[in-house]
Parts: sequence; structure tokens; C-alpha cells
Amino acid sequence: MSSEGRPALPVLTNRVRISRRGWFLVAAAIIALLPFVIQDSYWRTNLIVCAINIMLAIGLDFILGYAGQLNLGHSAFYGIGAYASTLLIMKLGVPFWMAFVLGMVLSSMSGMALSIFAVRLRGHYLAIASLGFAVIVHQVLLNWISLTQGPLGIYAIKPPPDIALPGLPIISFGSTANMFYLVASFAFLFYLLLDQLVRSPIGETLTAIREDEISASSFGINCTAWKVFAFGIGSALAGAAGAFYASFVGTLVPDAFIITESFTILAMVIVGGMGTLIGPVWGAILLTMLPELLRGFGDLRLVFYGAALTLVVLFMPGGIVQAAQIFRARLGRLATATDAGMRR
Amino acid sequence: MLTVALQQGINGIVFGSLYVLVALGLTLIYGVLVQINFAHADVVTIGAFAAYFFTFAFGGNYLISIGVALMVGAALGWLVNAAIFAPLRERGSELLPLIATIGVSILLQNAMLLWFGPIPYAFDSPYSNKVIRLWGGTFITLQNLIIVLVSALTIVLLYAFMKFTMMGKALRAVAQDRETAGLMGINPNQLIMLTFVIASALAGMGGAMLGPILVLTPFAGTSVIVKAFAIVIIGGFGNVEGTIIAGLLVGLIESYTTQFVNPGLTDIVVFTLLLLMLALRPTGLIAEKREENV
Amino acid sequence: MRKHSAILCISIAASVALFAAAKAAQAQDKVLKIGGLFAMSGPGSYFGVQDKQGIELAIEQVNKTGVNGYRFEVQYEDSACSPLPATQAAKRVLEQYKPDVVLGEECSDATLAIMPLMEQAKVTLLNAGSSSIKITDPGNPWTFRIMPNEVMQGVDIATNAYKRLNARTAVLLYENTNAGIGNAKVFGDTFKSLGGQILADIGFGRDVNDFTAIATRIAGLGKVDVIPTYTLEGQGLRITQALAQAGVTKGGGGQSIQLGTIWLPFGFEQKAGKAALGYVRIVQFDPTDKRDVVQNFIRSFKAKYNQEPTHINAHAFDQILVIADVVRRGGKDSQSIRDIMATTKGFSGVTGSVEFDKTNQNIKMDTIHYMETLPDLSWKALGWN
Repeated sequence: MSSEGRPALPVLTNRVRISRRGWFLVAAAIIALLPFVIQDSYWRTNLIVCAINIMLAIGLDFILGYAGQLNLGHSAFYGIGAYASTLLIMKLGVPFWMAFVLGMVLSSMSGMALSIFAVRLRGHYLAIASLGFAVIVHQVLLNWISLTQGPLGIYAIKPPPDIALPGLPIISFGSTANMFYLVASFAFLFYLLLDQLVRSPIGETLTAIREDEISASSFGINCTAWKVFAFGIGSALAGAAGAFYASFVGTLVPDAFIITESFTILAMVIVGGMGTLIGPVWGAILLTMLPELLRGFGDLRLVFYGAALTLVVLFMPGGIVQAAQIFRARLGRLATATDAGMRR
Repeated sequence: MLTVALQQGINGIVFGSLYVLVALGLTLIYGVLVQINFAHADVVTIGAFAAYFFTFAFGGNYLISIGVALMVGAALGWLVNAAIFAPLRERGSELLPLIATIGVSILLQNAMLLWFGPIPYAFDSPYSNKVIRLWGGTFITLQNLIIVLVSALTIVLLYAFMKFTMMGKALRAVAQDRETAGLMGINPNQLIMLTFVIASALAGMGGAMLGPILVLTPFAGTSVIVKAFAIVIIGGFGNVEGTIIAGLLVGLIESYTTQFVNPGLTDIVVFTLLLLMLALRPTGLIAEKREENV
Repeated sequence: MRKHSAILCISIAASVALFAAAKAAQAQDKVLKIGGLFAMSGPGSYFGVQDKQGIELAIEQVNKTGVNGYRFEVQYEDSACSPLPATQAAKRVLEQYKPDVVLGEECSDATLAIMPLMEQAKVTLLNAGSSSIKITDPGNPWTFRIMPNEVMQGVDIATNAYKRLNARTAVLLYENTNAGIGNAKVFGDTFKSLGGQILADIGFGRDVNDFTAIATRIAGLGKVDVIPTYTLEGQGLRITQALAQAGVTKGGGGQSIQLGTIWLPFGFEQKAGKAALGYVRIVQFDPTDKRDVVQNFIRSFKAKYNQEPTHINAHAFDQILVIADVVRRGGKDSQSIRDIMATTKGFSGVTGSVEFDKTNQNIKMDTIHYMETLPDLSWKALGWN
């Protein structure tokens, strides 16, 4: 950890600045330690679901928050990834990791197809088009029984195959700890990837398109290509999440990918803070864990959920990230005031 | 065979009228506010429950319960607009109000679940089982006939309102250009509230009429809302005539797909049509020239 | 003064002694922990709410006297009728509550998802709601089912339709879910193998509200003898009414007989009215059954909840009775409960008798009762089983 050079101040206000790399190391350390802190299968399951939701949320945020595309059909890409990878493994005997990549590719291609199709659509039109797309995908998964088994479901889906590295004990993904490491590592990797993209000129291009598409294109930016790109990346991540979902839960039914799933992911992005990368992570963690913590409340659980979403939008549209900034600013002011007070 | 084809035609028109009842409110809101309201279908459900309880718990007359539902819908519309849309309007974002309505929808559905429970209510009006025999061996239930007639009447009244009354013209002015309308001495906020109240009243009334047909649970709205949106888009956002045509079209598609293919596939057909419309003619069946602010 | 203090001392001593005795007695009251995995949220809560009613009633009765010194206690977790929430709920109940036996789920997808977890944890799962054959067929020693599965019901009703009702043509009408598709398929296969004809195979989604179009299609098919219908009560009501309006079924002046399974609760006829005339269906809970256990159940249910019980209530009630029977015969922990449950014989519950075959499926056919709806909307037991 490094702290930037600052003029000498009393210890009370010596704010230690952690660099970006520092935070990444902290995150990695937390991921590494979590399975040791949390030993029971139930909470580990929740952590894995968290990791999957983080993948979904950051992918959606890339499309929605950075590229400004109103995508309400993210559940479609999630479902395509899950079913594609599973069917490739179970019907064609494709090895897991190849099926995983192909699942991501298929999701990505659907995302890009939707984007190309909707290239002229703005705002609400795109929103409904993506919703319509998601409905169609769900209905196809439901009705094409000869391919997907439809509501009858696919069962006994195996976890990713064991990894045997020379000299090390065999890593089996039947263990929740190992599965968590796998999914969380991928989520982390995807986060790093998006972080790089967002801080590169690509990020600026997307922001330009989001803020004012017409002006951006007058600057020579090929808006269509970049929108398709954003969709491609975001939906690829959803496809990966789908593949992990299938191999973790072991059971696949079309109703796991109904359109309300899109709204759940959207809620994670908004509550966390749209347009930031860390926001969706917090949103995903909060909205995955909160229903579990609220289990004692039974039906009230979802009432809270709906209320939380509405209130966040009304009063804190920047989500958790905005709340954190306000909090930090208040603390800062407090520190400065104390500072001034101390100096006297 | 002819009987069947005719009957499915009648069924389609009935379905269509059902959808139009729900979609009209949506299209109104969109036309004036440029706002998608996901909670609209839940107002329909609440209208249905209001009518049910008025009829069965208080022993009221069914026809009066329609009026009750209308008022409940109006009140709810007033509330949602005042609490949610008005404060958000200033921020100018397209997305936030949409998401707020998603939140409200989840809230309403689960609150209803808590109050009413998940077991379907058997809401039968005095007319829902009376069958009227028509020509060629076809039939229609009295309830469905009422729905078609009321839909038609509502459309005519709405149309007249929008075209011929001062308030209607003011609404259209606000829809076209809010700022200029304001300069003309029209209070946009009041008119927006009026739109919301009318649209929600329509939804509530629709609920009361649909109650005897729907499977009445707190989730009844969700079965209709996405298709209602599809209809609003196919017909052209904000366009009343388009919504009507699109609604009837979708209704007919449903009944004929059920007849010749499979009921399970009607959603796919309708939404594929939606996507095609968006690709080829995004402004809808009846293109209304909307200028985009560059 | 001394007298007072003496009395005080004695009373304190007495209370302490009493308290200690009570605590000791309580400590002897052993608790049998039962986990309940049911949908408490979302549309699936239709089942969860009713299951809870049945279970609570049974627990109340069992705990009045206890069984072999055991009190029963239930911990519910919301499995939401779907694989992932069911998995989470199952893990939670297994890890935090550590039950001796678990009840659940209603929806086949959710049950199939949690079965491996139960097997791994070596806890018995007692099911009374999922009809998919996959639950018992592969033979999981830790899963028991007391209700007849889709094969038992389907073969029986199709055979009865062909032989007793002389049906030769049928139209399959079912909801697009695991249970709907599965049950319809068994009926179809059996009926065809007997020589019958399936004129149409119509599956519909759970979000369909208006069935006039479907009824019209059936009306156009000519002579339809029976219409096996697999759907829950909300849509079932609308279907029955639509079929009558279209003049297809007896209730509407037509000839077709609707056939149904256990999904429609008692009280359906009162909601459907004349349209339900002539409906023949399998029920698991027969309120006209004169057996004491049934009549006592109905009486106590009405007293507690002020409504008529449904088959879901009855199933849940029976599950507790089965466990009570097992505990009476010596079951006290997961393993012994499993072993003793497997030997259940001659048990008679509200829904019928219980005897498990080697896949732990209850094979007693008296759980399948046939009813016909009479013009006065009451049930007539057909006595086919």
C-alpha cells in the first residue's frame, strides 16, 4: 500500500490513500480468505451466487451505465449461456471449458445481434425491444422441448471437471470452497478486464456515446460499432455466469431465466450505482445477501426489496456509491473542521 | 370449420379489447409523459380486487363496483404520480422513472400477496356465464360483450376528449412540446397529473371488467403487462388509434395461433411481430411524426 | 416474624423444587425436529400456505400427547418452488436447524434439486406434492413419496376412461410445467396403447387467462369423449367455464367429460357452478370418506381455520401422521427414521393407506379416489379403486 506524499499533518487526519492496485490486492485477499472464515455450505452457496450475480451486474452496467444502452433483457444472455454450455456438454460431449467458452461466444453473439438489430432504436424503444427479445428467448427455451427439455428440466448437471495439476492434490469442484474460488476468480478477472476497458480511451468513447450520441458521431465515432461492442462484452459475461449457474446448481429449468430476472440484475446495478464499476459489485452483494438475511420475514422480504428499489431511485439514484461518496465527504468535512479546531 | 374460424375471430376481438383496455392507459401516459410505467398492470389487478371485495365482501352491485374500481385506480394514479414521477421529472433521466416503476410494481404485487394471499379468487360477475348465441353457431358471453362495448365506448370518448375539448387539446400540446405549452399558459404539471389519473382510472376500470375473466391473484397483472407494452409499441407509442389496431391485431393473432398451432407459442409470435415492427417501422403502425430534439 | 420468615423460606424452597422438577420434566420431553421446505413467496406460495395449515393442525394434535415422549417441532424455509432458492433453503435448514426429517417440496423441479442434498446429509425427505416419476424411479433411499406419482395416476385414469367410460377419443389439456407435461404424456401413451385416439395435444402457459380460444378449438374437433385436464384451480376454473360456454362439456350441454387429477380442491364445484357437471376426477382427499381419521380431520380443520380443507392440507397433515407412526415404532434420528419409514405397512391416513415399495414410493392405490360431480355440485364417490 502506498500513501501519496502529503504535507505533514497531525496523525488524526493523515488519510492513507490506497492505490488502485492496493485495492485489488485487498479484494484478492478477501476472496482467498472467505472460505476459511465461512465454513458452512449454506453461506458458501450464497457467496457463489453472489459471485455469479456480480458477473451479471458488471456486465449489464457496462452496457447500461457506460454505453448508455437501455438493456432490459439481460436474462436472455444469462439463459443462453446456461443452456448452450450445458447442452453442448450433455448432448455433444464437448469438454466443459470448451463448452464454457462456446457458451460465452453464443451469448455474446446474441447480444451483438440484438444490438445490431436495435441500432436505430433509442431509449424506450430499445428497452422494449430487449424485453421482447428476452421473452422470446424464454419462450423458446420453454417450448422447444426436444432440445432443452423445457419445463421438464435438465438434471444431474455435473460441476466443472476436476483439475489435476502435477504435485498438487486434485481440485474437485464438488466442494463449495473450490467452486467459490473458481467463480469468484472469474468474477475478479472480468472486473479487472472491464476496469481496464473503462479507464482506456474505449471508456471515454462509450461515455461520449452515452452522453450525446449525435455529437459523438459528428466527431467521427462509429457509434454502432461501439454499441455492438458493449453489448458483446456485457452479454459474454452473462453467458459465463450462466455456465457457472448450471454447473453449480446442477438443475436447469427455463423459469430460472424469466424476464423478472432481468429486473433483479437491473436493481443490483441501480442500487449499487450505475455507471461505476464497483457500484454493481456492492449492489450484487447487497441484493443477494439481503433476501437471505431477511429470510425470517417471509413474505415481507420482497416488499422490502421493492420498497428499497423505489426509494433508492427516488432519493439516492447514484446508489451505494453515491451514498459512500456523501458519507466520505461528510467525514472529510468533519476531519477538516477538527483539523482546523486542532490547529488552534 | 367456418364456425370455428368465425368463433376464433370473435374470440380474437374480445382478447383484443381486453388488451386495449390495459394498453390505452399506457399509451396515454407515454404520449404525454414519455414514460413507461411498469406498475400499470398492477393498477389493473388492484382494480379487479377492489371490484371483487366491493361485490362480495360488501354485497354491492357489480356494475357499481366498476365505478368503485375506477375511483380506486384514479386515486392510485394520483398517488404514484405525486410520490414518484413528479419528483423524478426534474432529473430528466429516461431510465430512473422506469426503474422506479419496476420497484413500485414489485412492492404492489408483494403487498397484495401479503393481504390477499396466493390462492386465486373466483370472481364471477352476474354476466360472466351468460352465453349469447350468435349467428353461424358462434357465441359470446355477456361479460365479454360488455368488455367489447365498454372498450369501444371508452375509445370513442377518449378520442373525442383529446380532439374536441380544451383540456384534451391542452394535453396534446403538452405531449408535443412541454415548454412551449407552459409558455402558452398551460400548467404542464397539472395536466400530467390529469393524464396519470385518467390512465390509472382506465386501468382500474379495466381491472373490474377483467376480474371475472382473469385468474385473480396478485400476479394477474404480470400476465398482461408485457404484451400490453408490445401492443403500445406495435401501435406506436402515444398513438391511440395505433394502440387500438395493434390490440385487436394481437388478440386475433392469439386466437388463431391457438387454433392452428399451439397456445404456448402465441407469445413467440406476438413478440417476433414486435421485433419486426421495431426493425422495419419503429414509429408504429400509424406513424405519428415525432420530432427529436437534437 | 420468625413464622413469616419460616413460611417464606419454605415457599421459596418449594418453588425452587417445583421449578427444578418442571425443568427436569421438560428436559425429558424430547423434540423431533422437522424441516419444512415449501414455497412461501411468489406464485408457488399457493402450495406453501396450504401445506403450513395442514402441518400446524397435525402438530397441534400430535403434541397434545406427544409420541413416545417426543414433541414435534417444525422449521419452515422458503424454497420458492424453484431449484436455486430450494437449494439455498435446503442447505440453510440442514445446516442451521439440523432436522431429523424434512418435508417438501411441491414442485417437481425443486424436489429434484434438493434430493441430492438430502441424500448427502443423510436426512429423510418425505414428499407429498411432486408427481414426476423421476423422484422415485431412480431409487433414492432417502426420498419417500406418499402420494401416487404421475404413472400410477395416469395409467389408472386412462384405463378407467377407456374401459369404464368407454372413451375412444381424447384431447389432452395441460399446463406447460413439469407436472402438466408429465401427467399428460402418461395419459396419452396409455390411452393410445389401449386403442384410443388423441385428437389434440394442447399445452398452455401459466399466464393464460382466457380459454375461449382453446375451448373453441376443442369444439371444432368433433366427437371428443374425454378431456383430461392438468392444471391448478385458478386456470382450471376458467377452463371448465370456457368448455361449458362453448358447449363442449356436459355442463354446457355437450357430450365430453372432463377428467382431472388431484389438483383441483374440494370447493371447486361451488366456484365453477353448473359448468363442472359430470367432471370425473381423481382426488386424494375424499370428504365423503366415512373413516374416522378423515371426518376428524375435516372437523378439526374447520374448527381451526373456518374453511373446508383441500387435498394439499390433507397431504401435509398425513405427512406428520406418517412421521408420528414412524416415531411410535421407534424412529428417533435420521437413520432410524429412514429405516423404519421404509417398513411402513398398514398405515391409514386421511388420503389413504401407505406402504412403500423398494423405491420408496407409496403403492397403495386407495390413495386414488374417483369422484364425479353431480348436478347439485356435490361429489359422488365412484368407487373404482
